[in-house]
Amino acid sequence: MQVKLEKTFPIAAPADAGWRVLQDIKGVAECMPGAQITQQIDATHYKGQVKMRLGPATASFNGELKIKSIDEGERKIELFGKGSDTSGASAATMNLTAQVRDGGDGRCEVIGVSDITVSGKLASFGGRMLTQVSEQILKQFGDNFTARVLASARGADTPQTMAASVPPPKELNGVALAWNVVLGFFKSLFGDTKSKSG
Amino acid sequence: MATTAEYLEREQKLEGIGCARKRKEDPRFIQGKGHYVDDVHLPGMLFGAVVRSPHAHARIKSINKEKALALPGVRAVLTAEDLKPLKLHWMPTLAGDVQAVLADEKVCFQYQEVAMVIADDRYLAADGVDLVEVEYEPLPALVDPHHAMDADAPVIREDLVGKDEAGQGKRVHDNHIFRWEVGDKAATDRIFATADVTVKQAVLNPRVHPCPLETCGCVASFDKVRGELTVYITSQAPHVVRTVVSLLSGLPESKIRIISPDIGGGFGNKVGIYPGYVGAIVASIVFGRPVKWIESRIENLSTTAFARDYHMVGELAADKNGRIKALRVNVLADHGAFNAHAQPTKWPAGFFSICTGSYDIPVAYARVDGVYTNKAPGGVAYRCSFRVTEAVHLIERMIDILAQKLGIDKAEIRFRNFIKPEQFPYHSALGWDYDSGDYPTALKKVLEAVNYPALREEQAEKRTRGELMGIGICTFTEIVGAGPSKNCDILGVGMFDSCEIRVHPTGSAIARIGTITQGQGHQTTYAQIIATELGLPSEVIQVEEGDTNTAPYGLGTYGSRSTPVGGAATANAARKLRDKARKIAAHLLEVSADDLDWEIDRFKVKGVPGQEKTMKEIAWAAYNNVPPGMEMGLEAVEYYDPPNFTYPFGAYLCVLDIDRYTGETKVRRFYALDDCGTRINPMIIEGQIHGGLTEAYAVAMGQLIAFDAGGNLLSNSLMDYFLPTAVETPKWETDFTVTPSPHHPLGAKGVAESPHVGGIPCFTNAVNDAFAHLGVTQIDMPHTAFNVWKTIHELGLDNRA
Repeated sequence: MQVKLEKTFPIAAPADAGWRVLQDIKGVAECMPGAQITQQIDATHYKGQVKMRLGPATASFNGELKIKSIDEGERKIELFGKGSDTSGASAATMNLTAQVRDGGDGRCEVIGVSDITVSGKLASFGGRMLTQVSEQILKQFGDNFTARVLASARGADTPQTMAASVPPPKELNGVALAWNVVLGFFKSLFGDTKSKSG
Repeated sequence: MATTAEYLEREQKLEGIGCARKRKEDPRFIQGKGHYVDDVHLPGMLFGAVVRSPHAHARIKSINKEKALALPGVRAVLTAEDLKPLKLHWMPTLAGDVQAVLADEKVCFQYQEVAMVIADDRYLAADGVDLVEVEYEPLPALVDPHHAMDADAPVIREDLVGKDEAGQGKRVHDNHIFRWEVGDKAATDRIFATADVTVKQAVLNPRVHPCPLETCGCVASFDKVRGELTVYITSQAPHVVRTVVSLLSGLPESKIRIISPDIGGGFGNKVGIYPGYVGAIVASIVFGRPVKWIESRIENLSTTAFARDYHMVGELAADKNGRIKALRVNVLADHGAFNAHAQPTKWPAGFFSICTGSYDIPVAYARVDGVYTNKAPGGVAYRCSFRVTEAVHLIERMIDILAQKLGIDKAEIRFRNFIKPEQFPYHSALGWDYDSGDYPTALKKVLEAVNYPALREEQAEKRTRGELMGIGICTFTEIVGAGPSKNCDILGVGMFDSCEIRVHPTGSAIARIGTITQGQGHQTTYAQIIATELGLPSEVIQVEEGDTNTAPYGLGTYGSRSTPVGGAATANAARKLRDKARKIAAHLLEVSADDLDWEIDRFKVKGVPGQEKTMKEIAWAAYNNVPPGMEMGLEAVEYYDPPNFTYPFGAYLCVLDIDRYTGETKVRRFYALDDCGTRINPMIIEGQIHGGLTEAYAVAMGQLIAFDAGGNLLSNSLMDYFLPTAVETPKWETDFTVTPSPHHPLGAKGVAESPHVGGIPCFTNAVNDAFAHLGVTQIDMPHTAFNVWKTIHELGLDNRA
């Protein structure tokens, strides 16, 4: 099961602010619900975990995130993530390219292109909702990311103030994007409307 | 002299052949008193659950059992490494290939068995499965069989690399399993080169799954002290399981007892030997405790025997009157990752060569290429005798397509091509000897019953208004009753079947047969056969199957073989008893055996009214007063090796209406005439036909085991896999003719699969017929509303303007 998505988030902040936030992998992670970076292996490799509560059950996924390239001039970052749940019953990979483009007038936009493949149980049961749910998750991500950039542009970029600027503490890693996409579907399926409305 | 009324009363009392006797099985089923494998609870029983692959194709880099083993109650985690010393990590399949019991370094289909967790209860086992950590390195998946033999196709079976043979003859590519050819290719090609008219069409029988209500499972119980293994198992062929388990385990067959208790539907899904069974047996031998393994619905739909996946190209050559001159077929068969196709050993494509159908086709050629893909293994299952469904589907589609091309009515073209009644026994171009049939009478009867000309008129009128109405006809011939040991065996054991009857002193009896009922009602019908043959009421005849310690060796129930083979064995065993009874009666009446006439339930001295002995009296005498030199008792065993297959047939007609805006299909009428030769219990036949037609409807209209491009299974729950309920199922009208089989002791042919085999093409012919006037020749199944709507939309028929 494969889905390709392209999304643009306009932000009322300068491109430099957007780029600054985008390079902070841990910070970006916090924009996505349910995820955390657990370990930085080296400059370009991270380990992460996604924990998800689905009614009475808790699902846990482990993954790796790799920064494939950072292009300062283009303000572009390429990430590759892969992971599987602890039992190996489901797996996912993601290629994500994110770029900050100067929109002039102190505005910018972030363009995200992602290519997600899902296999295993998640593909069997969540696959057909992948596109729709991905869009919703990306929207949440966009909202949080925007809030973060705006905060950064105001100069509030100490970790504490940054965190405060993002309503409830949320996390993201590259893998989490893929996981949440499908897990969000499950949450909505089981009546948790919050995952839909954010 | 007995009066006619007395005869009738005596005969009715027997409830023998032809009686619509109520099923003996039903009281326990409808009261929830059936006893299935999952109802077996043994002291100290452990439970197995299987860790399965999320990937369709991947290398296993590591398996970490630690966390699972740390969970209290988890006893063991079995992997291929553990089975290797026992040489049980791979097992032979029924098709000459091998299959990984637990994945050996590599997984080749999604949901493949990777490890088995053994725990104190099934919940702990399931928790343990979640704690087994498997690291995979994904490989490119091969999903489309059409690309299996591409030069750059990923190689699925690394264990076979370099081998030019995978148990079924020569292969030409690493993903190739076999090539099977039958017929006269040169002669066929010659006719095609000069024929008045030819048609060619790709026809797909997509991958489906029989999805029985009860999933597969077993309880293996090894007694370490006695060295005996008992396995309760959902098997359609318990004796074959015993032989295979003996070969795999090294235990003598005499120390293995296989019991198939009540089975909640098989349809071919319960023929094979599955990794879960092997795992449970191994675990039981290791622990000396009973181990239960029961599939979930997802596991059943994902891993145990699918059906079909035949990608066919059919061609017909005909003269301008629609008289068929030749048939040419090329098939690409997707067998999944291991060739575990259940089949008689010498038939890699089953009986697909029955594809000349009910028609007198002088020359034909068929070729089947089997390939590996990254999908679950199995095949052939689903209420049909070894690829007959595919064969019938092909010819019944092709004859419709030919009719369309020539502008000949679809019923008329069948009449022009039928094998005529006087041509039987008929030798087909692809080598079969059809035993008996009367195809024109059957079709005529159906056409009259539904007033066919009026339906065609109505259709023509509706077409002028843009409405979509389809009339589907299917005149199929089945080949069942596998089979003569000269051409059919399973792992070297001939496909005979057997019956043992013991008549007790007071005139009741027990019969044990080598087949096993899964809903067919054997306990009812076999008793009826014995009642008629022996003159004892069927009510006092117990029928027992499925326990290898008591039943004589038999090859089981699938491919509609119970009545043709097991039923024949039963009749012959009863006749042996009747012969003995005649001698005892002669002794009691002090006459020669030749002076006796058999009459319903007794022997009578010819021409001497009142001089008679009933079977009940003879049974008593068998235990105290037999002729000098005769063995006491009244018991017989018959191993019946059929001289030929049986060829049931039928004529079906379906009328349906399609909503041209939504694509929804409504079956207005389905008329099914079956000829299964002698009818043993008309009520059970009707029930079997209802079931088979419902499963045909399921396949034609909605069932599909679907995969995405990465080999992820998209239809392995009942949320996605169509199982029709009473709500969706159309009303069935049934009818029959009787053309007995000349070589079967009772003239019976078998029926349970006919409605499935004949029903599917009938539905699909009807859907295609609805679009025939628009030049459409083939719409593949399943005909879901969405798929039908796509055709409608492409043709622009849903335009409201």
